[in-house]
Formats: sequence, C-alpha cells, structure tokens
Amino acid sequence: MAEYINALMICLQPINLLLIVAMVSLGIVFGAIPGLSATLGIALLLPVTFGLSTETSFVLLLAIWIGGVSGTFISAVLIGIPGSSSAIATCFDGFPMTKNGQAGKALGIGMTASFIGTVGSVALATVLSPVIAEFALHLGPWEYFSLCFCAITLIASLSKGNIFKGIMAAGIGLLMGCIGMDPINGAVRFTFGNVYLTSGISTVAQMLGMFAMCQIIRDSARGEAKMPEADVVNMKGLGVSFKDIFENIRTIAFAFAAGLWIGFLPGMGSGISNMVAYGYAKSISKNPESFGKGNPAGVWASETANNASLGGALIPMMALGIPGDGITAMLIAGLTIHGLQAGPLFMTEQPDLAMLIFACVMVSAIVTYIVQIITKRWFPYILKVPYHYLYTVILVICYIGGYGISNTMFNIYVMVALCLLAIFMSMAGLPTSPLVLAFILSSKLERYFRQGISYAHGSYAEFFTRPLSAALLLVSVFCVVWPFLSDHLKQKRAASAAAAAGQSEVNDD
Amino acid sequence: MKLRRDTVTGIVGLIGCAFFLFMTQSVKQPAKLLEPGPRLLPYVAITLIAMSSIALIIKGYMDRAKEEKPYFPKGGARKITKSYLMLIIYAIAMTYLGFLITTPFATYAFIHDLKGNSEVKTVPTIIISILVTAGLYAMFVYGFQVKLPAGALFE
Repeated sequence: MAEYINALMICLQPINLLLIVAMVSLGIVFGAIPGLSATLGIALLLPVTFGLSTETSFVLLLAIWIGGVSGTFISAVLIGIPGSSSAIATCFDGFPMTKNGQAGKALGIGMTASFIGTVGSVALATVLSPVIAEFALHLGPWEYFSLCFCAITLIASLSKGNIFKGIMAAGIGLLMGCIGMDPINGAVRFTFGNVYLTSGISTVAQMLGMFAMCQIIRDSARGEAKMPEADVVNMKGLGVSFKDIFENIRTIAFAFAAGLWIGFLPGMGSGISNMVAYGYAKSISKNPESFGKGNPAGVWASETANNASLGGALIPMMALGIPGDGITAMLIAGLTIHGLQAGPLFMTEQPDLAMLIFACVMVSAIVTYIVQIITKRWFPYILKVPYHYLYTVILVICYIGGYGISNTMFNIYVMVALCLLAIFMSMAGLPTSPLVLAFILSSKLERYFRQGISYAHGSYAEFFTRPLSAALLLVSVFCVVWPFLSDHLKQKRAASAAAAAGQSEVNDD
Repeated sequence: MKLRRDTVTGIVGLIGCAFFLFMTQSVKQPAKLLEPGPRLLPYVAITLIAMSSIALIIKGYMDRAKEEKPYFPKGGARKITKSYLMLIIYAIAMTYLGFLITTPFATYAFIHDLKGNSEVKTVPTIIISILVTAGLYAMFVYGFQVKLPAGALFE
C-alpha cells in the first residue's frame, strides 16, 4: 500500500501531471482519428524515451495508451467510423444517436463508460497482479514455455478469416526472432555477416516500420486517408446523469466482467470484448429491435467492455511478463529499453516501479475523463485535421525514432525493409498481431523450452506431466483444432437443416 | 491463368522456407548438448510457415473459381510503389546529407504525395516543411536529447 501511495505521489508531481495531461490529450487525438491509434502513439513515443528516466518514460507511454484507447469512441459516435477495432460496436448505436441529434449524450456515455471500465479494471489489476506474480514465482520453465506457446496459438487461431494465415504470421515472427544470437549458447543465426544484426532486430524499428510507416503509405494508396464531415448539435454538458448509469447497471456490470476477462486472455483484447458485450446487451434488452437505431445501452456495453480490457491485459503483462496484445507488447518493449524485464520477479524486486505503472494508469484514466469533459465541444474539430500534414510529421518522426535506436542509419533501413514486408503481408491478408506477439515471445519461448529439457536431463516428459503446463498445452491444441471443428459442426448442422427442410417439403406434397 | 493471392502467398512462403532451411544448416550446433540446440526455433518457424503455405496453396486452388477483389484501387499499386521509393530515397539522402538538409525536401514531397484529392498550395507547404523540420529538430535534439543524423559528408 505504501508503495502505491508513493507511486501516486510521483504521478501527482507537477511535471509528471503536466506530462500526463499532454500525453492523454495527444492519445485522445490519436484514438479519435481513424487510422491512427494508441499503438501507433506508443510506437512513436518509444524512441523519445531513450534519453528519459524510467519513471518519466512510463508516465508518457501509459498516459498516451489510456488516452488513445479511450478516444476511439469519438469518431465512432460522430462519423460512424471506429477509431480502432475496439470501438466497432460503438458505431452501431453511437452514430445513430448522433443522427438522432443526441451526439452530446452519446459522447457523454462513451466518456463515462470508458472511465468506469478503465478505473474499475485497473483497480482490480492492482490488487490481483501481485497475488498472481507471487504464484508465478513457483512456476518452472515448463509452465512458462506452455504459457508463451498458449499465447501465440490463441492469437494465431483468432486471426480473421483463416487460421493458416495467423499461423504463418506467427511463424514469420518466430523466424524474425531467430535473427541474432540465440539466448542459450550465443550461436549466431541469419545475420548474413552483418554485425548490426548480431543483437537481433530492434522491436522499436519493427513497430515503426510495420505499424506506422506501412499504415500511412498503404492507406494513402488505397484512398482511405480521408474522412466525412461530422454533423453535430447540442454538445454542451456531460450529457449523462446518475439515473442513466443506474438504468444500464446490468449491462455495465456484464460488459465490465466480459472486458476484464477477455482482456486477460492473450490475443483477445478490446477488439473482441466490445462485440461480446454489445451482443449481451442486445440479448437482455426489452427492446432488442431498438439496437442499431440509437439505443444508449449499446454504447454503454461497448465502451465499458473495451476499456475494462485494459486492466485485464495489464495482469498477464505485469504478473507473468506475457503481453496480451500488440500494445502491451510495446509496453514490455518500453520496459526492456530501460533494462527491465516484466514478470513476477519485476513485481517482487521492483514493487515501486510496478506500482508506479498501476498508479499512472489510474491517474491517466481520471485525467482522461476530466480532459474529455472539458474538451468535449471541440471533439468534431479533431476529425478535421488534414491527413497529409499529420501523416508527413509521423513519417519524419519514424525516421528520427529509427535513428535514435542505436544512433546509426542501420535501423532506418531495417524499418524501411520491414515496412515492405508489412505491405506484402497486408496484401496477402496476413495479420500483424500474431507476428508481433511471436516476435516478442520468441526468445522466451526458446529459452524456456531448451532450459526445460536441460533441467529434465534431456526429457520432454515434464511438459506433459506437470499439471499447469499440460493444461495450457491442451488449451493450445484446442485453440488450433476448434476453428476446424466449429466449421465442421456448422456444415453438419446446415446439412441436417437442409435435409429436414427437404423432408418437410416432401411431406407437404 | 491468374493466381489467387492465397496461392501466391503460399508459393512465396515455400520459397522463403527453402531459403531459410538452407541458411539454418550454417548455424553452428554445439556438440553433446542435452537440449535441441540453436537450430530448433528456426526449424519450428520454417515448419509452421511451410505447413501454412501448403494449406494456402490448396485453399487458393479450391477457391480458384471465385472472383477476387483487387487489393488496391486503380492506380494504387503505382502510388504505393512511388511512396515506398520516396521512403528509400529519403533514407539514402539522410545517410549522406543528414537530417537538417534532407527533411524540408522530404516533408514537402510527402505532403504532396499524401494529399490525395486535397488542394495544397506551394508557398504554405514550403513554410510548413521548414517549420516542421526546425520544430522536430529542436524538440528531439534539445528537448529529448536524442541525436539526429549529421550526414556522412559532414561528419
């Protein structure tokens, strides 16, 4: 508790508070503009943190994260285009509310639901993470390997459209992670005689090249870098009362629980939780037909769930050192830049810094809400920022960031090369999330697997005989098999339904 | 016959696998190890890519009759190639001439390249390009203490 209060005091120091306000505001802008995102904001900020203290770096990164995730509802409500996948379900009712002249109320719900989701889930993460980290200290390399393996298979199996594309992307991520020295013997792999590659591919160069640069030139080529006009009236006031909250309390409670749990699972972040919560809100509503036409419950469900996923994702990141999605992978990269390793040892050996992360997220959530209340009437102007100026500045910052990694031009060329890889992957329909997760986890996956076999004197049996390890491996197998099984069951059901329909037609005749 | 994107992805994946399989043979494997050694992860990654590539080739073949929407709209492929070449030229120019000389030109070029259907006037764009360069230089060099490339010709 004392560590948490100390951490809160650090966050409330005037300079840090000022940084939080600035970064939260920047995050809201990044979240609000479709095409930009909190992920991109963190990628751009990572190189900036090279010269800063660990505390200041994390204040910057966490504040832009919270602001960015919260801000995604703005464009979803005002123009019907989600700022990111986490606000897709917000569009369903948020935009119709705007068309019905209730933009102010829809934005107020978005702000309040985001606040409830983030603050509640982070409070729970703060309490639960040390307990889980304590438990994790008793785990061996077998369990850690199975956990990393499970995380990669989960995210690969959830790939849109085709599981093979997810597996292929994960394979490419693992192969990229092989570049440089191996983590056990120091054997050099795939460096092609280049000394710069001995230390492997920089995570920052990868993020900047594959997320920022690729997205900018791809969106421009596809003609997606433009926005419709936002048509808004009556933006004064918060637009939400306590009565609104109590009327939707059941929806909020379920959305919160679903968001927290889904955020906790690797690969299943806010992009999924908002859809699940929306579906539930519709199923328990007395007027399900009003959904999609401007029912406030839809916005409550979606926004509470996607922000509750933040706290859920913090738990495995802090307690186990396992990133749940692309953003937490970048935050782990931010820790690594400052010589820190997320995981149970980090929680027990550096509780001050661990608590600073939780406290900073909490303060950022509160500041985000205050900033949003004050600036709500100007939200439509965020969406009028000309893309060609904004994207140009981002491209130049990418080059600065690439150079700042090692003060050489090498990482800029790596970044440009990875941008090309990301363009081809995008054309092929290969998702980037499994690649990023596999790349970040590759060294851990390899180290734990090889250590596990070494400790067991060459035996592989421990992976299957230790209960937790075996359970996680079973989950991984299930994740890979389930999409095929589910397709097969659907086909079987459709065939039997068709047969039944044919039979009834014959009987009618 | 036009190949589907899945088929092309599968073929490229298999070629990549063959290349990295060959490269993995040159990774030194220490003798008498209790564990599988440094070639393990590359083999796992190659196996995953190869399996998925074969699956994608089969899927592409099975879906061959279905029509596939082009990924880029008309002229998009040419536009992305041009944008990508600009990224490379900027990187090469920065290597030799440094950040301060190349960035105003690059900024001007990027603004024109990314403008789409928006109208961009020359003089304001030149002013913006210079201001962006000066602003970013001041922010990173003096604010965040991050070094910026001076250029090989001036070092």
